[in-house]
Amino acid sequence: MSSRVAQHDSVASAEVSLYHNVLKIKQEHELQNLGISFYDCETTIQWAYNADHYFHAASTMKLAVLLGVFRQVDRGELTLDAPVHVRNRFTSIVNQEPFMLDLSRDADPNVYGHLGKTLTVRELAYWMITLSSNLATNLLVEVIGIANVQAALDELEIDGIRVIRGVEDQAAFEAGLNNEVTANGLLKLLRLIAEERAYSREACEEMLKIMLDQQYRSGIPAGLPKAARVAHKTGNISTVHHDAGIVYLEKRKPYVLVILTQFTAETRRGTAVADVSRDIFNAISGMMYE
Amino acid sequence: MSDGNGAPNLKVVDAFDLDDELRTLLRPGEMVKDEKGRRHRLPRYFYEVPSHDVAMQTRLTHHFGLNEFILVDLKENQRLQQFPTYVPCAVRTLAFYLEQFRAAAGASVHIAVNGGYRSPAHKMSHGATPHMWGTAADVYRIGSTILKTKELIEKYNEVAEDLSDDLHVLPMGHVTGSAADDHVHVDLGYITLIPREISEDRMEQPQENRPRFAYEERRRKERRHSVEEASEPQ
Repeated sequence: MSSRVAQHDSVASAEVSLYHNVLKIKQEHELQNLGISFYDCETTIQWAYNADHYFHAASTMKLAVLLGVFRQVDRGELTLDAPVHVRNRFTSIVNQEPFMLDLSRDADPNVYGHLGKTLTVRELAYWMITLSSNLATNLLVEVIGIANVQAALDELEIDGIRVIRGVEDQAAFEAGLNNEVTANGLLKLLRLIAEERAYSREACEEMLKIMLDQQYRSGIPAGLPKAARVAHKTGNISTVHHDAGIVYLEKRKPYVLVILTQFTAETRRGTAVADVSRDIFNAISGMMYE
Repeated sequence: MSDGNGAPNLKVVDAFDLDDELRTLLRPGEMVKDEKGRRHRLPRYFYEVPSHDVAMQTRLTHHFGLNEFILVDLKENQRLQQFPTYVPCAVRTLAFYLEQFRAAAGASVHIAVNGGYRSPAHKMSHGATPHMWGTAADVYRIGSTILKTKELIEKYNEVAEDLSDDLHVLPMGHVTGSAADDHVHVDLGYITLIPREISEDRMEQPQENRPRFAYEERRRKERRHSVEEASEPQ
């Protein structure tokens, strides 16, 4: 671990302990790959494990789309109250053929219940993050353009996130064209939001407000005391389970944590993310009460 | 707000009399090419819709409100998303046919957002489409049935085609030439409607030294004003 504050023995021992625990979790859950990145705004301590390895982004790419939306708002090219036609027809990046989402797989009737009508950009952003609506995501990608999502990442010098398409583009998936993330890439994005350095203070506040309403809590929050507030975004497909978030505890600055896991299709998704989150929290708590 | 027979009690405007911005967006009387290179003249006479409430209250037919034909999203030019907004007078003819279509389909007919009138400035207006004349509708739902399969789209296309030779439909996937689609498109072609209270003599018989349109008069006044200002002693 590195820190601008004086190094303590407790930090070194926490690091060793954390490293061993992480290896144990990886083994127990039969993970093919595990990536972790951590930054504590209170102590400035950073810690990482395999944090530059690229994973399939799954729904964590929606954080980049959220950033892209606020880029366009900041530039005056979009307003959060602008109405967007909710329709289920998108274009594949591979063959320019149209495709439709399988709405029976989308957990969010708040969006597909509006087919043929409009939702505002703000509403779509909210459902994209809090209920991980694929329909809302693809609509927003269509509104702002995928190039502007990448432009936001480039402008803010966020390496380690590659966003090339929306979601459920089966032709692109079969061609191996997927969005990818590293733990360090998502950490950088979240740090900018936590530190109010992504476009404007107001933009960061809006983004945090949305992320704090996250409905899926089996990842990072499951390893924390109930009083902890987490602004985060999960990502799940059959072979990955990720969570990336900003953790707010009482009487201290937040910490930012990204946990990416990959496993075989035969291995069922377990509690690896929650277990890592718990270990990180315990390590932090140990240092807090030294 | 209307007699329910397709003649809404709304002010009819000659788009040439609108301000420069609106005229630039609506492009009255301009020729536009369709996808086959045929040229069509854009409509000139519009209903002025002063507010959302008026749009909601104005019935074009028993079952169709004017608001259904002007629902747009951010693909429409920002000025035309605001009120007062404008819709070609021929929209009432479309409503009449949609009322028949509704009866034949046996259920309510729902027009999608961006599925009614789209101005020439709308981002989906590539070349002349009857949407720019207010004479086309994209129907995404009939009753509680969302139109997302080939079978459903073909079924209701047939209903429309059987109803009248005036109604034109487009096949499944007409935009991209593929098998994915989410609406039934019906249109009446490039109909322009000139309400009976309108006199067209200004267009046909321009008088010497007399502006044909209100904007020409405004411009003359502006020019006169600027000349007078320039000639005032400093």
